[in-house]
Formats: sequence, C-alpha cells, structure tokens
Amino acid sequence: MDKPKREAILDLSKYANERIRVKFTGGREVTGVLKGYDQLLNLVLDEVEENLQTESDSEPKTRQLGLVVLRGPTITLLSPVDGSEEIANPFAQQE
Amino acid sequence: MLPLSLLNAAQNKPMLVELKNGETFNGHLVNCDNFMNITLREVYQTSADGDKFWKLKECYIRGSTIKYLRVPDTLLDAVKEEQTRAREAGRSARGAHVSGAGNRGRGMPQRGRGAMRGGPIRGGRGRGRGM
Amino acid sequence: MDSLIPFTTSGSLVDCVDRKMLVVLRDGRKLQGVLRSYDQFANLVLEDTVERIYYRDFFAEAWKGLFLIRGENVVLLGEVDLDKEDDVPLRQVPWEELLPYHRQEIAAKKKREEVKAQVLFEQKGFCKEGGEGDGY
Repeated sequence: MDKPKREAILDLSKYANERIRVKFTGGREVTGVLKGYDQLLNLVLDEVEENLQTESDSEPKTRQLGLVVLRGPTITLLSPVDGSEEIANPFAQQE
Repeated sequence: MLPLSLLNAAQNKPMLVELKNGETFNGHLVNCDNFMNITLREVYQTSADGDKFWKLKECYIRGSTIKYLRVPDTLLDAVKEEQTRAREAGRSARGAHVSGAGNRGRGMPQRGRGAMRGGPIRGGRGRGRGM
Repeated sequence: MDSLIPFTTSGSLVDCVDRKMLVVLRDGRKLQGVLRSYDQFANLVLEDTVERIYYRDFFAEAWKGLFLIRGENVVLLGEVDLDKEDDVPLRQVPWEELLPYHRQEIAAKKKREEVKAQVLFEQKGFCKEGGEGDGY
C-alpha cells in the first residue's frame, strides 16, 4: 500500500484553466480560473471572485480580485466549480 | 493498525468528514496521504449550521483542517481480516519470521496488541515520523 | 491514591488500547468508544463510538460508529470505569428530545463567552481569539 512519497494526491493539471473554488483557514472563500500551481499547493488564479457573506443568507456578496497568488499553507478545501451545485437537504432524516 | 493505515484502507469507501469549522462532507475516499490530506468524490457538503447543502463532483481537503472522519464500522474488521490473510500468505510462502501474530481477536489482553504493533508504535513514541 | 506506576514511564496510550475511553473534543463533544489505535500525533481510532449530550439532570446518546479522530482536536482522553459507568445520577432520554436544549445551552454559553471576550478585549487589552474558540 506504499505510494510514491512525493506525488501529490491531487493532480491539479486536470483543473488547468477551469474555475475552482478554494477555501481558506479563517473562513475566506474564492473562486477563480486555475492558471498555475506547485507541489505546495500555492496557486495562481485568474478572474478571482471572493465570496463574502457566508451563513447569514442575504444575496451572495462578492468582490473582484483579478489575478491572484494563493498561498498553499492556508488552503483548506479545493473543488471544481463545474460539477458542484447547491441542493436541498439530501438526507432523508437529518442526524 | 495505525489510524492513517485505517484511512488508507478506507479508499473507495464512503465516509463523513467533519472540519474544524463544523462543515461536513459525505463522500467516497479517493486518496489520502500522510498529512491526512484527502480527496473525495461524489460529495455532499453540509454547512456548519446544517442549513445549506451542496453536491460536489469531487474535492480536496487539507488534513490540517479535519476534526474527525467517520468510516463504515465494518472497515476495521475487513482490514484486520485482510492483514491476517496477507500475513498468513507471507508466512507460508517464505517461512520468514513476521513480527506479531495472526488472529488477534478483540478483547485480547493489551499486551498482545502492544506486542503486535510494537514496531510502529515504538517508533512513534521514540522518534517522530519522518515527514 | 491509586498507583501512579502506569503513568511514570514515558507517556503512552498503549495501556488504553482496547479499552472503553471517553474523548472530549475541542468543540465540546463527548464521545465514548473503544480505543483501537493511535499514533504519535495522538490521532485515535475509536470503535463503537457513542456521542453523549447532557442537559441538567438528563443525558442522551447517539451511536456514531467508527471514528478516526485527528489528535489535535482532542482535549482529554480518559478510561471509562466499566464498574461505575452505569451509576450516573442522570436520567437518559431520547436524543431528539434533548438535542434542542443542549444546543440552546451551547448557544447561550457561546454568547456569554463572546461578551466576556469583548469586554476583556476592550477594557483589559486581551486579544480576540482568531475564530478558534473552543467549545469545551
């Protein structure tokens, strides 16, 4: 079950030029088009939009940030925008 | 077996991951590494307050942001089973001394369990694991 | 005083393996389960885990199964005394019944802590916790 040590478990090349959603420790969240990355998960995103206003659901408030370098150490979550959608409660019985 | 070994054994199994911020992710484990970073597929994300839901095709979660993971209860038994079988196969094939013994049922005295996993745990206590 | 011999050698969880343990997490959750394994970070594998919530004279339980807990989230780990664990002077009620009260209590406590933190910040020069507020 030994895997090559230096191979990241996430192959970011499949998201090249695609819009991805990135969350950070501290609660910030952005989406942007993936332009570059490295092994440490530092990212270069273009057309970046920061999503403000979480959990207190008024209209989704955003601000434009343009071309951004995102530091890998503070990234907590990464997912492609294409293939994600908000849905109603999928669990028959919550908890 | 070590916690991270259990995680490795959970590949392709469904699991629930709760992050430190209270968000939960239900999905199938694609991959994981020694930092506990994971990738999931077919994910149902729930907000911390339990009010909002998202479906994600896949996602990557940093290990450092994980609070805990819940895995299928049958996983532990399945892995033990496989370890026993692998050990027995190795033993009969080569006759070499393999540390520990097969059949460690649950509820056996800890000494047995300590002896079985003496290697890695000793290493864990004495030295940090090389990152 | 009970013998301290098990604790005078270097700290290790090996004596806790295969025993029923109470785990308190930083978010305040109380889990009980059989400790099956651990590592140098005190990541834990807890089997047959039950989460318990308390409110006044009542408690409730929910079975949660097999947990892999990241060590840094653990506040304490204690061995459950199997002979005494049923002597709890509290009444057990269904989980769904107690949950709203439990949550309400948590929310109230969180509010009190926030008010306190604000006063300390404004008047005594304390720093605000960086969103890492612990729930225990």
